[in-house]
Amino acid sequence: MNAVDATDRGAAQEDIEPPSLLTIILDTNPHAWAVLANTLPLSKAVANLLVFINAHLAINHANRIAVIASHSERAEWLYPTPAHVQRERRTGTSHDSEDFEMENGDGDGDSLGSGGPVHPPDDANKYRPFAQLEHALLRNLQRLLATTTPAAISSHPSTMLAGALTRALAYISKQTTSTSSLTSTSSAQFNYSDPSSMAGGNSADPTGTSRTSGGSSTALTSRILIISVSGDLADKYIEIMNSIFACQRLSIPIDVLKLAGSPIFLQQAADTTGGIYLSLETPQARAGILQYLMFAYLPDQTAREHLIVPGEGEGVDFRAACFCHKRVVDIGFVCSICLSIFCEPLADGECLLCGSHLSMANYGQNPVVVAKTKPKKGKKRMLDGGADTGTSGGEGTPAPG
Amino acid sequence: MAHSDPEYDDQGADDDDDVVVPGRGSRSMVSRPKGRAQAKWEAAASRNWELQEGADGSLEGVLGGLEEAGKRKRLLKDTTPLQRGIIRHTLLVLDLSSAMNEKDLRPTRHLLTINYTIAFVREFFEQNPISQLGILGMREGLAIRVSDMSGNPNDHISALKQLRSTEPKGNPSLQNALDMARAALYHTPSHGTREVVIVLGALLTSDPGDIHDTIKACIRDRIRVRIIGLAAQMHICAEICRKTNGGDENCYDVAVDEVDYRQQLMAITTPPVLRSTDTEAQKNNQAALLMMGFPSRIVEEKATLCACHGNLTRGGYLCSRCKAKVCNLPATCPTCDLTLILSTHLARSYHHLFPLRNWAEVSWKRARQKGSVQCYGCLSAFPAVPAQYEVANGDEHDLLFARTKRAEGASESSRYECETCGNHFCIDCDVFCHEVVHNCPGCQSQASLPGADGDGEANGG
Ligand SMILES: [Zn+2]
Ligand SMILES: [Zn+2]
Ligand SMILES: [Zn+2]
Ligand SMILES: [Zn+2]
Ligand SMILES: [Zn+2]
Ligand SMILES: [Zn+2]
Repeated sequence: MNAVDATDRGAAQEDIEPPSLLTIILDTNPHAWAVLANTLPLSKAVANLLVFINAHLAINHANRIAVIASHSERAEWLYPTPAHVQRERRTGTSHDSEDFEMENGDGDGDSLGSGGPVHPPDDANKYRPFAQLEHALLRNLQRLLATTTPAAISSHPSTMLAGALTRALAYISKQTTSTSSLTSTSSAQFNYSDPSSMAGGNSADPTGTSRTSGGSSTALTSRILIISVSGDLADKYIEIMNSIFACQRLSIPIDVLKLAGSPIFLQQAADTTGGIYLSLETPQARAGILQYLMFAYLPDQTAREHLIVPGEGEGVDFRAACFCHKRVVDIGFVCSICLSIFCEPLADGECLLCGSHLSMANYGQNPVVVAKTKPKKGKKRMLDGGADTGTSGGEGTPAPG
Repeated sequence: MAHSDPEYDDQGADDDDDVVVPGRGSRSMVSRPKGRAQAKWEAAASRNWELQEGADGSLEGVLGGLEEAGKRKRLLKDTTPLQRGIIRHTLLVLDLSSAMNEKDLRPTRHLLTINYTIAFVREFFEQNPISQLGILGMREGLAIRVSDMSGNPNDHISALKQLRSTEPKGNPSLQNALDMARAALYHTPSHGTREVVIVLGALLTSDPGDIHDTIKACIRDRIRVRIIGLAAQMHICAEICRKTNGGDENCYDVAVDEVDYRQQLMAITTPPVLRSTDTEAQKNNQAALLMMGFPSRIVEEKATLCACHGNLTRGGYLCSRCKAKVCNLPATCPTCDLTLILSTHLARSYHHLFPLRNWAEVSWKRARQKGSVQCYGCLSAFPAVPAQYEVANGDEHDLLFARTKRAEGASESSRYECETCGNHFCIDCDVFCHEVVHNCPGCQSQASLPGADGDGEANGG
């Protein structure tokens, strides 16, 4: 059945909607799930998630799925199964690189990362790709949980979300590149800031952004769904932000389904990347997790254009984490050299990060930012660099009141 | 002007060749008419890779290596965290003189410049979200204003789009442009940079007075000028750039083709490294710690007036200090004068502060030792480690090297290792992680880093 899938895909893609790669990041932080154990145990959540994944795969036969666990002390693939895991399983056979090559070729042949050669029990009542995925995912999850030592759990109360996001992005980037090079010319790659993606001198349409965001009809559209239970993410603030910007640049929405914990950064992530943020705070809401998944997160970007997506009419918490104590603040002190955020004026006047000497005399000084007032065209002189009058000092030494 | 014409034509011809095999093919310079010394811009043009056959006569491996080497080359730069000017005030000066009608860059220099500039504007604000940009033009001996200093990319882009329909005319005047830029940057606060970027297609400047006076004034005002030439090197441009950048020779370059042009323009979007003089100036100006508010977005049941325009809106951002409502960020609170910004605006610059270290090339030996079969980031398979490597006698050893001979800079085993976490990555992930995400998938995925070693070794033998 898989073989049929694989051969069909190329031809079918032309006239039907583009395939979509859904990367799910499952927060498996044991601490948080322990808290939820009474209302929504992990096993139930995973069972619901599998139904959702199957629905995603069923919508379009070219759709793909990847699942990463953001565990307490590492981020690990749940699906597709990484090679070294596949290897460890087949302990009886000889371990050779040739051997691996072979089986990997096999893995590529059937619907890109079917999880490799892990053979699910034959069940005539189940569509084989579903069974295969379910089997691989559950085994990897069990393996992950089995290899988590009590020491690791107690020493790492948080979750490796930054790592999971980064791995997801690397995977998406590769999948997108390889898909577009299969279906069209190699020039339709991702637009890094890298100018050579322009090679070929196709000067007609140099706006790389339009290529990525617009996307040709054959391109793989990707999105990330984070199922989050952990609260405290401030200690990986920079890394998480880096990942969020990467998503924004590549037009990959980050959908967030929050089951517990404080929302701050993930809400920002969803807002920045145009994803959906939902928080299920009550046990009743959590009991309906499958409905939330199906109704809010199943439609992909193209479908969402025509839908009223949830969460639009809500505010977003945009507070930042300070670099000194990882405290969440709404007014901060920012080093003008490196833009790091501090929650209080620094005692010795030295930036903790870049070491520049920071003047304390006028720390309340305003940097000039955009004045969003509509400039009266034609009337303004050129000299409106400091459109907000507070900063118009002479010779670059603004002296605000 | 007259004496530069032959050079100019020559360059044009070069570019014609170039369009056929842009940037990649080997190119000989035999058709050069005169035996004169190679100009710098020509040297850059012919610096292209010579195609070398692999020892077994196949080009494939070498070509693959070349591509990787090229990708790597762009990556292997500035991973030392330097102080960078993250709050920038930049004026982009476009040449709108008749020289921009030339078709050596397709479709014309003018249109290509506008297209690239639009991409530049987007990228600039991507990289420098709390910076300001303005655009000037040089036409008919005058400096004209294209768009005002502003932090909103759409203002600039719509102004640039209107430029498309205009005809480049007359001569450019560097002096007028610099004077206008100076005036525009005069009131910018001292904790930011002041930069002027000039794109110059013409090989002349027709100035009303002594341009050296203007250069001196620019130095006084701490303005740094960078120039991208589209035709050939001009002495005065080199002088302007050198003098305004404290003797740095690298701020003036001539674009040899479209790809190079874009690359040079995009390179400017990276925040510039601060020179010691700037740091001193900043110390003197004592403008270092800024208070900012990070307001949250609200949605209201009923419309209320915003403090910035007095419009009725249902939602906006509440000032963190005085709770006045503003429509958009970044902004200065109209009531209490606090700078309001999205923390995401700031966070965008952090990767300049904490750059991801370069990854090392991995030899076959190391690859065998680690037993890596798959990229840690994207799970794509690596080429297999040659099985007989260790038992190889001399001949086989050479054969192996011949087979895997690759271009300088590319890893022989197609693996790249993050030295912090010890994981192996493919070239695509190397580029992606350094250019886009600025995170290492390995380092971020493991709480205890040195433990990574045991993992791969199990299947090495
Ligand atoms: Zn703090
Ligand atoms: Zn600092
Ligand atoms: Zn307003
Ligand atoms: Zn206020
Ligand atoms: Zn990779
Ligand atoms: Zn690493």
